[in-house]
Amino acid sequence: MMLYLTTFPYQDSSCIMGKRDVQIHFLSLLVLFFSVMEERNSTEETPRNNALAQRRSKSYRHSMRSCVEATHLTYTSGLLTALRIPRSRKAPKSRDITKQVDPDQVALLVKKEWQLSYVTPLYQFRHTQLKSYSKQLSAFIVSEKQQGLAIEVGQELGFKVNFSVVLGLAETDKDAETVFIQILSKQAFGAKDDAQKVVWSGWLTCVNGDLDYLRSLPLEFVSLPLFCTRGPESLTVLVKSWFEKTFDCCFGPLGINSTNLQWLASLWTGCHPTINIQYLKLVWTLPTLPPMDVTYTVHPQDAWELWDSMRQVDTTEDSISIDEVTGFINGLQAHFFRHFRIDLSAGSLMQISTALGSSHHSGKIKIASPNYIPTILQLLTECALLKMPI
Amino acid sequence: MSLLKPFSKLPGLNTANILLVENEEQFQQKLADTVVLQEKTVNVNVRLARSLPLPMENEESRPRIDLVVFIIHLTSELSFQSAETSLNYLDPGYFQGKVCFLVTSARNVSVPPERLVSVRKLAASFHCPLLCAEDQTPEGVTTAAHRLLAILKVAAGLVPMATGLYLSTLTRCTVPSDIDQQNFE
Repeated sequence: MMLYLTTFPYQDSSCIMGKRDVQIHFLSLLVLFFSVMEERNSTEETPRNNALAQRRSKSYRHSMRSCVEATHLTYTSGLLTALRIPRSRKAPKSRDITKQVDPDQVALLVKKEWQLSYVTPLYQFRHTQLKSYSKQLSAFIVSEKQQGLAIEVGQELGFKVNFSVVLGLAETDKDAETVFIQILSKQAFGAKDDAQKVVWSGWLTCVNGDLDYLRSLPLEFVSLPLFCTRGPESLTVLVKSWFEKTFDCCFGPLGINSTNLQWLASLWTGCHPTINIQYLKLVWTLPTLPPMDVTYTVHPQDAWELWDSMRQVDTTEDSISIDEVTGFINGLQAHFFRHFRIDLSAGSLMQISTALGSSHHSGKIKIASPNYIPTILQLLTECALLKMPI
Repeated sequence: MSLLKPFSKLPGLNTANILLVENEEQFQQKLADTVVLQEKTVNVNVRLARSLPLPMENEESRPRIDLVVFIIHLTSELSFQSAETSLNYLDPGYFQGKVCFLVTSARNVSVPPERLVSVRKLAASFHCPLLCAEDQTPEGVTTAAHRLLAILKVAAGLVPMATGLYLSTLTRCTVPSDIDQQNFE
C-alpha cells in the first residue's frame, strides 16, 4: 500500500479562491472483480428526496387528522395543507398599535427579550376559561414544586398565575387572540399590600397565520403557534408540561435562521424614514479556528440608502421580495470584503439589532417599537408554523 | 480559462480518477483517505481542488478525471456560490453522468431550508445526482465514500453494461412540484 501526496503552490496569491491540486495515488492488488449488486444497493440508499419526504409526511399526517375529525374518509389535497417558505412580504407600515390594543398590555410585550418556542395546535383550548386555567396552572406548579418535600418550606411556594387575553393583536378573523400568562410569587411573610413580583411571563400568539392551514384545522383545535417566554427555565418547563398535559400539544425550540434574520434586517432598515433606527448591527460567526465573531455596525442612513437602491428594482412598492433582501445583504457583505478581505458569506449570521429591536439566531427576540409589532410577529408566526411537525 | 474535458485523455488500465472540489477544504481530505482505503480492486486516484478551473501547471501529468464531485456545506453560503462558479469550467461532456453533488449538514437545524432547495435546483438543472453526507462521524464519511465509489466505477467505465449517462438518468436529482410552486407566489 502506497500513499503519497503532492501539493502545488498557489498560482495566483492575490486570488482569494486559491487553486490547489493535491494528488493521492493508491495502488492496490490488481484484481478485476466488480460486485455490481453492491453498487446498486448503495446507490439506492441515496437520500435524494429528503425534503420531499419530510414535506409529504407533513401534509399526510395533517390530512389524517382532518380525516379523523370528519369521521369519514374525506379527501384533503396535500396542496391545501403544505406550507411554503414565503418569497415575498408586504412592506412594513408604521401603525399605532395602541389604538387597537390596550397600551398597558403592549407595554408588557415590548422592550423585553423573549425566548421563542413553537407549539402545535391546542386541543379544546377556550378563551372563555382562562380563569380556571389560572387556578389549574398555579395548583400544578405548586404540586410539582412540592414533590419530594415532606413539609412545605420556603416562601417560594406561593404562586399566582394570571391568564389574560391581549385583544387586537390578531390580524385576520382566523387568528386566535393572543394569550398572556404571568406568574407572580406570593411572599409568605410579606405584608398583604406588597406588590406581587412577576417571576415569569409568557404569551402565545398567532398573527396572520397561513389561512389555508388555519382553515384546515378541526374546530376543537386552537392554533397559537408562537410561544414567547421570559423568566427562569424551571418555570418554563413546568408551564410547558402543563400545556402539554392539558391541551395535548407539544413544544419545541424555535431558532431564527439566517434567512429570517436577513428578512428582519431588511424590514427594520426599511422603517428608517419613519422611525430612526439609529444603527444596524449584524453579528456573524466565521468558521475559523478558533471561531471568529464579526460585529458589523452600519450607519442607519447608509443602510437605508443601500436598501432603497435595492428597492428600485422592484416595480410594486408594497411588497418586498427575497431577492431584494439577499441583494441588500450581499451589498453589505461586498462592502465588508472590500475593506477587510473577509468574506462574510462563508460564516453564518447570528444576530441582528437596530433601535427597533434585536433578534438572535438561537431564538431570542426583542421588539422595541410597538409600531411594527404585527410585521415582526407575522414573520415569527410563519417560522413557527414551518417549524412545527404538523 | 481552460475547460476540464472528460475525453481529452486516454483512460488508464483499471484506474478511476475522482476530483473532489470543496471551497472550505474541511471534508475533502477525510473523504479522500476513506475513498482510497475503501476500494481494494481498482486503482483510485483522488484529486483535490478548492475550485475550478484547475491550474495549468500540471495539466500534462493530470490523469483523465472520471468524476467531479462538488462538496457543498449548507452552513455557508459561500460554499454554494463557489460550486456554482466552478461549474462554468466544466466541459458539457461531464454532465452526462460524470458530475455529482455532495451536501453536508442538511439536517442541521440552524441551516435555512432554502439552501438545500437551491442546491437541489442546481443539481436538477444539470441533471446530476445529489448525495447527502454526514461529515462529522466516521460512519458517515464511510457511507459517503461508498456511494461515491459506486458512481465513480460506473463513470470510469469499470462496470460492465453500465455507463455514467445510464446511471445518471436513474439517480439524477429532480425538484418536486411543491418546491417549483414557490416560484409562482
